[in-house]
Amino acid sequence: MSSETKDSRLHSGAPAACGPPLSDVARFSLSIGRLFMEFGESARMIHEEILAMAHCLGCDSAEVYCQHAAIIVTLRRGQEFCVQMGKVGEHGVNLRGSEVVKNIVRRVSEGDLACSVGQAQLDNIQRAIPSYPVWLVCLCTGLACSAFGRLLGADWLSFFPVLVASGVGQWIRRALLVRKRNPFITTGIVSFVSAYLAGFGSRLLGSSHLEIATVSAVLLLVPGVPVLNVQTDVIEGKPNLAAARGLRVMYILLFMTLGLVAAQRLILQGI
Amino acid sequence: MNSFWIHIIHQAIFGGIAAAGFGILFNCPPRIILYCISSGAMALAIRTACQLANLNLPESAFFAALAVATAERLLQRFQQTRGSIVALVGCIPMVPGSMAAKGLTNLFALLQAHPGEEIAAATNGMRNLLEVTLTLAAIGTALAIPQSIYPEKEASVKTKTLP
Repeated sequence: MSSETKDSRLHSGAPAACGPPLSDVARFSLSIGRLFMEFGESARMIHEEILAMAHCLGCDSAEVYCQHAAIIVTLRRGQEFCVQMGKVGEHGVNLRGSEVVKNIVRRVSEGDLACSVGQAQLDNIQRAIPSYPVWLVCLCTGLACSAFGRLLGADWLSFFPVLVASGVGQWIRRALLVRKRNPFITTGIVSFVSAYLAGFGSRLLGSSHLEIATVSAVLLLVPGVPVLNVQTDVIEGKPNLAAARGLRVMYILLFMTLGLVAAQRLILQGI
Repeated sequence: MNSFWIHIIHQAIFGGIAAAGFGILFNCPPRIILYCISSGAMALAIRTACQLANLNLPESAFFAALAVATAERLLQRFQQTRGSIVALVGCIPMVPGSMAAKGLTNLFALLQAHPGEEIAAATNGMRNLLEVTLTLAAIGTALAIPQSIYPEKEASVKTKTLP
């Protein structure tokens, strides 16, 4: 446990002599950690934000234990002592979501916002996070995958089919994840559909790079940010969290490859 | 303009497009999408130049990620967002997802290999996966270096209150 735990002996000159109840601070800390994990932040960032916030709310010491599916927070203030554990939901990437959480934490730490108000804002955060229209996200994802195709050496004939296939794949992925479907099964389905559409379209247009087209169309599924978080967590001495994240990445890649191989069997047959 | 520069410009343009696409997918704030494009273009240009100079993929990815992360750190005071969003999104096009898929596909091919072909299939699969692992390690390490040795410029809450 020690490798995952960050202990902070904060200075006795804490700004708030009698802040909000310690259990409220612990609950607020858990909400911060949970949201940051779900929005794809590294463990170091989560530790730093919670420790700084706890100090500003008058805590003498704070310990945070981040795991893939749960977070434990231990706070001390004078003779008071509080330990709370919270579950973490599905991990994803939402950079504007992280920014909104950071903003709320900053305002609570600076005293502009009461802890209870901050907690209420975190509880309703989904409504506060601005997001791009679904069509734009699908279009840009398709464009990114087409660009990957060009980077991998695909010809121009496969550019448009990959764009459409990846856009459709992103739309399916979003639709399934909103309905809380299993993320690994979703990955397999999206991989198969995207690769098949890209390969079929490229074949119709006479492209000679069908293999690259099918591979490019599934690159939207590669968990790039979690992979880099695994690296960060390993480097910063959090091997358990990194191992859990790494295992998840491996399974996503495995399901992605299964869908890709199935689609390639159909598309590349007889070539 | 010779083919060297044409190739680098081509890679930079599509690296920028890929970074922007992933920036939107990751719900990146609109005001830094242009930074993401620049970061992706810079990363791919440097990686391509390094590869053309006969460096291998992990080495090239390391130098490209290090350059992007350093530039992002140096320009931090011009940004409102903390952390390394721009460098992270810029490095996403360098994550070797296609090679990971190829490596796993080669391992699947091992199951159907004819006698005598097993060694080639296994070697190809392991080689791809090893290259993926080393490239990811290189990118992750390069992204962490500037953050570790160069302090944050922005006066955040923690820098004001913590010793």
